[in-house]
Amino acid sequence: MTEYNVVLTGVGGQGVLLFAEVLGVAAVKEGFNVRVSEIHGMAQRGGAVVSDVRIGEKMLAPTVLEGTADAIVGLEPMEALRNIKCANDKTLVLLNIATVKPSATSQNTSYPELRTIIEKIRLFTENIATIDSTRIAESLGNVAVQNMVMLGAFVKVGNFPVKSETIKDSICESVPERFVELNLKAFEAGYREISRR
Amino acid sequence: MLLLGNEAIARGILETGIGVMTTYPGTPASEIADSIALVAKEAGMYMEYSTNEIVALETAAGAAICKVRALTAMKHVGLNVAADALMTLAYTGVNAGLVIVTADDPECYSSQNEQDNRYYALLSNLPLLEPSDAQEAKDMIHEAISISEKLELPCLVRTTTRVAHTRTPVTLDKIQKPVIKGEFIKNPKRFVMIPANARTQHLALLEKMEKAKIISEESSLNKVTHTSTKIGIIASGGAYNYTIEAVNLLNLDAGILKLGMTHPLPKQKIINFLEAHSKVIVIEELEPYLETQIKAIAQASALNAKIFGKTDTPYFPYHGELSTRLITEGLARILDKKPPINFTEIDKKYEQASEILLPRPPLLCPGCPHRASFHVIKTATANKAICPTDIGCYALGVQPPLQVGDVLICMGASIGVAGGVSKVTGLSTVAIVGDSTFFHAAVPGLINAVYNNHKVTLIVLDNLTTAMTGHQPHPGIGKTGMGVQTVRVSIEDVAKGCGVKYVKVIDPFNVKEATFVVKEALKQEGPSVIVFRSLCTLLALSEKRRKGIKVVPCRVTEKCTNCMACIKLLGCPGLEAKEGKVSINKNLCTGCMLCAAVCPYQAIEGEVSR
Repeated sequence: MTEYNVVLTGVGGQGVLLFAEVLGVAAVKEGFNVRVSEIHGMAQRGGAVVSDVRIGEKMLAPTVLEGTADAIVGLEPMEALRNIKCANDKTLVLLNIATVKPSATSQNTSYPELRTIIEKIRLFTENIATIDSTRIAESLGNVAVQNMVMLGAFVKVGNFPVKSETIKDSICESVPERFVELNLKAFEAGYREISRR
Repeated sequence: MLLLGNEAIARGILETGIGVMTTYPGTPASEIADSIALVAKEAGMYMEYSTNEIVALETAAGAAICKVRALTAMKHVGLNVAADALMTLAYTGVNAGLVIVTADDPECYSSQNEQDNRYYALLSNLPLLEPSDAQEAKDMIHEAISISEKLELPCLVRTTTRVAHTRTPVTLDKIQKPVIKGEFIKNPKRFVMIPANARTQHLALLEKMEKAKIISEESSLNKVTHTSTKIGIIASGGAYNYTIEAVNLLNLDAGILKLGMTHPLPKQKIINFLEAHSKVIVIEELEPYLETQIKAIAQASALNAKIFGKTDTPYFPYHGELSTRLITEGLARILDKKPPINFTEIDKKYEQASEILLPRPPLLCPGCPHRASFHVIKTATANKAICPTDIGCYALGVQPPLQVGDVLICMGASIGVAGGVSKVTGLSTVAIVGDSTFFHAAVPGLINAVYNNHKVTLIVLDNLTTAMTGHQPHPGIGKTGMGVQTVRVSIEDVAKGCGVKYVKVIDPFNVKEATFVVKEALKQEGPSVIVFRSLCTLLALSEKRRKGIKVVPCRVTEKCTNCMACIKLLGCPGLEAKEGKVSINKNLCTGCMLCAAVCPYQAIEGEVSR
C-alpha cells in the first residue's frame, strides 16, 4: 500500500502553500487519500511556514509524526532543520541552498554557514540533496517561482508516488493562467538541474 | 475534490440552501466567508462582512427568525463578542436552520488565547457538532441545519485550526437553490425577552434539550468505529484522527467511540461503552470537556470502568494542540507499552541540531505602513508613552526593534485599557487600533474616553483593509463583501461625531509631519484621535502590478557610513547587513522610502512610488 509523508518548509512568501496544494491536488487526481495541512500564521510575510502533505489509505492525522517523513523539503535551509524531528535515517532532505536570514531583528546572532546546517541535518539523515532554486528562478525572470523549481527537483528525486505529468496538470490548475507557462518552465528547470548532481 | 476544511464548510452552505451568511473575519474561520463572497451573487444568496461577531450573529438570527436558513462563522474569541446574543437566542430559538461555526485555535497559531468553545454549548444549552476533517465539516453543515430545524434552535459547529486549514478529499453533493425571501410573523411571547417571557422560554429551551438528547442518542455522528472488549477510547473532533493513527502505531486492540455530536452527549451510548470496557481513555484537545461529563455519567450510573484522560493524572495536556505523538505517548503510559519510535532519542538529537536555529517570528512586511507609524509614535513620544495595542498585523509592532505595544488583550481593548492607564498614572497614553478593529469594538471605548474625559490619544492605523485575515473589506472601504459600492463610513467623522475635539488624518510615511501631529495630540487636555492612513503594502503592490507600474527598490549610496541606524530603527526585512555593510534586498524592497527618511546621512535614495 502506497504511503508518503512529506514536510514542506520555508519562509512566508516563498510559496510553500502553493507547493503543498499542487502535490495534494495531483495526488487526488490519481485517486489517493490525502491530507494537506497548512498553518496560516499571523501576518502575511516573513514568518516560518510549514505544510505537511500525507498520502495513503490510512492517513487521517493532518500532521507528520516525528521520525516518519519520507522527505523534508526546505525552500529555506534553516526551516528544514527546524522541522528535522520528522526525519529518520532514510528521510530525504531536499534543500534550496539560498538562505533567508531572519530580519535584522536579531543582529546579535549570526546566521550559520550552510555547511553547519547540513552537518546538523546529518545527525538525522545522510540522504541530502541540494539545489539553488532561488538562483534558477531568478534566471527565469521571477524569483516567485522558486517553489516550482523545488517542486520539480522534489518530483525528480523524492520518489513521490504521483506521476510527473499529473503534477504538471495540477500546476496548470493551481496557478493563474498567465503564469502557467513560467511555472511549468520553473518545474522543468528544477527537474533537470537536480539530476545533474 | 480536495478542499480546505473551510472551503468544505462553504460548500456545505451552498448544498443546504442557506440564504444568508454573515461573518467577521478571523483566523482560522476566514476562508468560509471568503469562499462564499466569491460565489454569493451567482448562487443567489446574501453574504456580508458584519462590523463584528455579535452583529453577524444577530443579522443571521434575524434572517432565521424570518424562516431563511442562515449561517454565521467566526473565530473562537469572536463567540465571546457574540455571546450576549447567543445566550438569549437560545431562549427565543429560530424558525429556520441557523448554524454558528466557531473555529477554535489550539496552540494559538494566530490568536490571543486558546479557549475551548465547547463550553459555550453547555453554557447556552445549544446543540454542538465537532467535525474531524473537511468531509465531515461539509456533511455536518447538513446535520446542523437539520438539527437546528428539528429543535428550532441555533446549532453550534466547532472546528479547530487543523480541521479548518487541512485539505482532504471531499465528495460533493448537489447544490440547493437558497430561499432568501423571508417573512416575519409576530410572536412577542417567544421573541421579546422581557422577564416574564424569558422565564417561559427558558423552560421551552430545557424541553428542547430533552429532544436534543434523543437526537444525540440516535445520531450516527456518535458511533463506535472500532470494536474490542479490551480497552475503550472515546475521542471527538480532530483528536479522533490522531487517536486512530496512535492506536495503529501501538498496535492496540481498542474499541473506539467517536463523538461527533458533543452537546448534549449520548448518555446511553456512553454508558453502554463504559460497561463494555474496564478501561476507558478519553482523548480530546484542550479542556477535559468530555472527560468530566463522562466521569459524571459513570459515577451517576455507578459504573466501574476506570477512566483515563487529563483530569486526575494528566496523560494528555490541557494546553496546545494534540498530535499523534502526544497521544501515542499518553496511551503508552496508560497501558504500559513502548512506542515503536524512540521519541526520546529524537528529542536528544534535536536538542543538538536545534542549537543553531534562529527564531523566525512573523514580521511586518517590507513597505508596511505600520512600520512608519510605529517609528513616528516612538519618535514623537521619545519612547516614553504607554501604548495599549490591539488585534491585527500591528500587534507585531511589539517585536524588536520597534517594540511598540504594552498591553494586548482583545478586539478594541486598546482604548479602554488606555483610559485606565492614563487615569491612574498620568503618563502619556497612546492607544493603537487598526481600521477594521476600530469599527469592530473601539467606538464604545472612544465614546467612554470622551464622556469621562480620559487624556488618551487613539491612533487608528488605517491601511484600508482587514489585512491580517486576508484583506476583507470593512465599513471604511466603501464596498461590501458582495462587491457592491456603498457608503464609506469615515473614521475621522465617527471620531468627531463621538465628540473628540482633536482629530487629524495623516500619512505615516510623511514622518516629520506625522511626528508633529502626535506631539500636538499628546498636548491636548482630553482625548484625541489621529488616523494614520496608508494602504496596506500588499494591496498597493498588487495594484501596481495590475497597472503595470514598476516597483523601484531603494539604493544605498556612497554616503552610507554603515551606522546601521536604518536597520536598528526599523528592522525592515528589505534591509540587510552583509559583513557590516547595509544593503537592500531588491526582491523585498517596495521602495517605500521610510529608511531614506530615517537615515541620518541621506544615504538612501529612491523614487517615491507609493
